[in-house]
Amino acid sequence: MLFKALIRTEIKLCTKLFTKGFSSKPSWDIATGVCIERVPVVTPPLNEMQKKYKDMLYTLETEKSLKSDHELRHENDKIQAELLKNESADVDLDTISKITAQDFEDAANEELAKFKFAAIETEADKKGDKHTPDRCLQRHLVLVTDVQLGKEKKKLLPQGLWKEGETLRQTAERILLEQCGPELKVQFLSNAPCGFYKYKYPSEINGKVGSKVFFYYAYYKSGNVKNAVKANWLTRNELTDVLPDRYRKSVHEFLIEEMY
Amino acid sequence: MLNSSILRQFSRLSLCSMTKTPVNSRNIATTNALQFKITDQLWAEPMKKKKKIDPAIIKAREDRRRKKLEKQIRRLEKNAQQLKPIDEMEVPLHLLDNMDKRKRPQLQLSTEVLEARALLQKEWTRYKRDEYVAHVAQIDRIMAAQRRALDRLYEESEDLYNEAVMPDLQLVPFSTSGPVATPPIKGYDTPDGEYIDISKKWDN
Repeated sequence: MLFKALIRTEIKLCTKLFTKGFSSKPSWDIATGVCIERVPVVTPPLNEMQKKYKDMLYTLETEKSLKSDHELRHENDKIQAELLKNESADVDLDTISKITAQDFEDAANEELAKFKFAAIETEADKKGDKHTPDRCLQRHLVLVTDVQLGKEKKKLLPQGLWKEGETLRQTAERILLEQCGPELKVQFLSNAPCGFYKYKYPSEINGKVGSKVFFYYAYYKSGNVKNAVKANWLTRNELTDVLPDRYRKSVHEFLIEEMY
Repeated sequence: MLNSSILRQFSRLSLCSMTKTPVNSRNIATTNALQFKITDQLWAEPMKKKKKIDPAIIKAREDRRRKKLEKQIRRLEKNAQQLKPIDEMEVPLHLLDNMDKRKRPQLQLSTEVLEARALLQKEWTRYKRDEYVAHVAQIDRIMAAQRRALDRLYEESEDLYNEAVMPDLQLVPFSTSGPVATPPIKGYDTPDGEYIDISKKWDN
């Protein structure tokens, strides 16, 4: 009896769904969101564990190695200097007047000190400017723009509606061109969407209940977003602050987690 | 048995006299006469007549063959299995000569140091394992997200789904250059060095 009762409710639900499917299927807008990510330019710093292990490997390597030419030369120089100090008779003056290994080392070090490596902290980092991809070189950055949803503007990934007759990938490319300008060059990684999000409109628009957003993933290659758009390149932590809660979860589903 | 009995029957029909029977064959019989007999099978065919060729032509042919072989032998001898040396696999002689000079003094490490190293190695393995597990979980999560998106797309429109699962052929020669240790300097003019190709030629 109990089983029967259970089954009956199930059947009711099924028939309800079935009729719903035929009669008044709520129709949704199909939209495409584009997730453009600038992958790290510079390797992230090593953590405690990695540093310790790296140090150990270095010491092991030097312990097991043989002496290099430079080290031999340095030792030879020392012996020659000793002999010179003691004013030994059989010092070959020709060999001493050369540049010693120590001199060579000093010169090389000086040259290295003169060379300036580019700083990991860029101009944008110093100013706190978030509108350029040239910041936080060691982290992943995601492009976030202002998207008009109904009457309000929200900070989301670039997003737009799908038009009849194009594939979703083409939609993604079109949206990028429309919203970010032709200068931004990206590399899409697939024809398939990588994530999904759906939301309901506050009230029905043109008979549509809400919108289903399919995310496409692309690498940032070069160029900048056109000036009219306020583009933000945000790190993972900043994303959590900016994006709406449910939306953020959907986006984080398909993003690579940062290890540091 | 059958054969011989039949033959005997036939032999009686012969017209020759019995006395003339030659006793020369191997078919010796103690019966009085055997005039009708069959020959032994030889299984041979008549010899073919040998063709006569001009000895000059034969000699020319022989010469030509010999020359061909000689030529091949000469070619083989010229580069008899000479293998191209691999320089980078051989230790240079001058290094082998002062090997004992280059040896570092043997370090006597205390047990604490050795112990600490072993422990660090173990800790590192554990760390790498955790990292690996995290990576696998991450990949699973990303793949599941895509699967979910595709399933939703299939519900919405089969055509769009079919378009989405098509391979992207533009990607195929895919290249990417990974993160580097220091950021590139903008407008840096790389000092050009001289390039001299010193690799030896090993042609036959």
